[in-house]
Amino acid sequence: MKIRDIVLRAGRSLKQAKARTLLTSLAIGVGAFTIVLSLAVGAGGRAYIGDIISSNTNVHELFVQPKQDLNLDSTKPRKYSDDPVINYGGGLTMKLLKQTDIDKLAGVANVTSVTPYYTVTPKYVTRVDQDKYQANIETFNSSVKLEYIAGSAENISNGGVIIPDSYREVLGFKNAEDAIGESIQIVIEKGGSNLLNPELKSFDFIIDGVFQQSVLNVKGSRGLLIFKDGTKTLYDYSQQNTAMFGAYVAATVLVDDNTDVNLVKNDINNAGYDAKTAEDLMGFIFQFINVLQGILIGFGALAVLTSVFGIINTQYISVLERTQQIGLMKAFGMRNRDVGKLFELEAAWIGFLGGAIGSGLAIILGIVANPFISKALGIGNARLIIFDPISVAVVIVGLVLVSVASGMLPARKAAKLNPIEALRTE
Amino acid sequence: MIEVRNINKTYGKKDNALKVLDDVNFTIPDGASVAILGRSGSGKSTLMHVMSSLDKPDSGEVIINGKNISALKQKEVDKFRSRTMSFIFQSFFIQANESCYDNVSLPLEIADVPMSKRKAKIEAALEAVELSDKKKSHAHDLSGGQKQRLAVARAIVNSPKILFADEPTGNLDSVTGGIIEDLLFDYNKKNGVILIIVTHDPDIAKRCDIQIRIKDGKIESIEGEKS
Repeated sequence: MKIRDIVLRAGRSLKQAKARTLLTSLAIGVGAFTIVLSLAVGAGGRAYIGDIISSNTNVHELFVQPKQDLNLDSTKPRKYSDDPVINYGGGLTMKLLKQTDIDKLAGVANVTSVTPYYTVTPKYVTRVDQDKYQANIETFNSSVKLEYIAGSAENISNGGVIIPDSYREVLGFKNAEDAIGESIQIVIEKGGSNLLNPELKSFDFIIDGVFQQSVLNVKGSRGLLIFKDGTKTLYDYSQQNTAMFGAYVAATVLVDDNTDVNLVKNDINNAGYDAKTAEDLMGFIFQFINVLQGILIGFGALAVLTSVFGIINTQYISVLERTQQIGLMKAFGMRNRDVGKLFELEAAWIGFLGGAIGSGLAIILGIVANPFISKALGIGNARLIIFDPISVAVVIVGLVLVSVASGMLPARKAAKLNPIEALRTE
Repeated sequence: MIEVRNINKTYGKKDNALKVLDDVNFTIPDGASVAILGRSGSGKSTLMHVMSSLDKPDSGEVIINGKNISALKQKEVDKFRSRTMSFIFQSFFIQANESCYDNVSLPLEIADVPMSKRKAKIEAALEAVELSDKKKSHAHDLSGGQKQRLAVARAIVNSPKILFADEPTGNLDSVTGGIIEDLLFDYNKKNGVILIIVTHDPDIAKRCDIQIRIKDGKIESIEGEKS
């Protein structure tokens, strides 16, 4: 018997048991729905994060730290070193970069500039006749695209600061334009001063710009942004007379535009440092999305597993119901193999139907829900659910194969049926 | 020509063993109509199954047109059956949910008849049983007699050489049963095919060229056999 005729007969048999076929397909459809939707959400999430990375980081930038001592065996005493470290206790230490390291990094081929990572925690930020507020100070990074409400970073110099809109409000500016050109005070505690009675110094900065905090800005969105040399001044003041003076947790290395970042990354790693590209740094977010997606797909797979038993059950009943039909077909010379194929193909149809219904519903839901999700999360026009036609096709084909596999047992029973027994009329 | 030689068939084992066919021998010439008569349990159905190679004998041979079908492999038996034999059953065994056309199409599909040649054959078969107007109707809309006519159409669509009919009129009243009988004997005479009817109805048996009576697995008598 030709495979085409078997496929058509299988389809017709299913049509005759519409309700049963549909219900069995729906079970597998639930699995298809879950899997297709989780794949789409994963794809959307990765695309969205990709967007965030490209709009927040400079692909020509490397984040460099000293190579940490990974020997965590705390039972053995460690050798003392004069190099600056942060001691977390329990034998856990973090090595820091020194000025010599910074110079060494600057000497690596194709490196344009090296900026140490200045960690400045001001006592508070304020303005004349206004309350005091806590704040983070970050070094201005031209590669981070900010959405300016007023002013811009074009003329930022040593005395300038760029503030988030939320600070503009609490510091008493009615609107953003009013803030431009005004000064704010950043108050720093002098390094090494008496802890009980610290010596404080106020630094004046002129507001050059006010930016809107957007969801796409994960980096530098909450802090006040100061030009490189400005942060250095604050840093030096706060760290003087301490062990941490002249030591940095990390440094940002800017690579020549025409050079592959990964080559420089390797050079720096070979020199005994630990360099990471923007992608390396953001990798954990991808991993997070992948894990989440994996869990969702797991639920889908569970639904598919359940539907496998549904298909086996349905097909067994179908074989029992159609015993006489099977006997007749065999009497007319249909081969056992072809009888088996007939039932396997019926299972394949069920799988295809379920896959198509499930993915169809998932796609409809995705298209309908996308604008709402984007609106609820405030991510503008970015879409969080992206359907890839290839992965949808792969899911459907996979489900068809699973269905054929689950149809094999009942198909075997049909193939082995003795035609004489089957045709006996009781 | 069908030659049945020394057929033995036993069901069950040891204490429960039941000899269903006991050294059965006969020959059926081409174009003959044959009635196999006997009570239920006499072994007549088993004889039909063995002759049509649906069942294998314990010993003995069934030789059809010089070919020993008892010695063929399953694959070859299936192929042989799909090209040369056909069946009509007491309970019709038609697919109630399928159209008449699809019902008749089944043997052609099994015998790998090309798509292009099927339509003409199916229409001719339906025409022969006067069901042309029901081509697209579902089989469950037919009356009992029409259902058996449909079964006849299905049986003759692929021009078989041997037609087996197992109590073909058993579920029908005498009028519709008579129509089926006429159809079968007409087809037998016109096309020279062997018609084998398993029955316990003496009236049908009388219309056959040969009557084989079987009792407790043994041939009781053969009437009308030409040597």
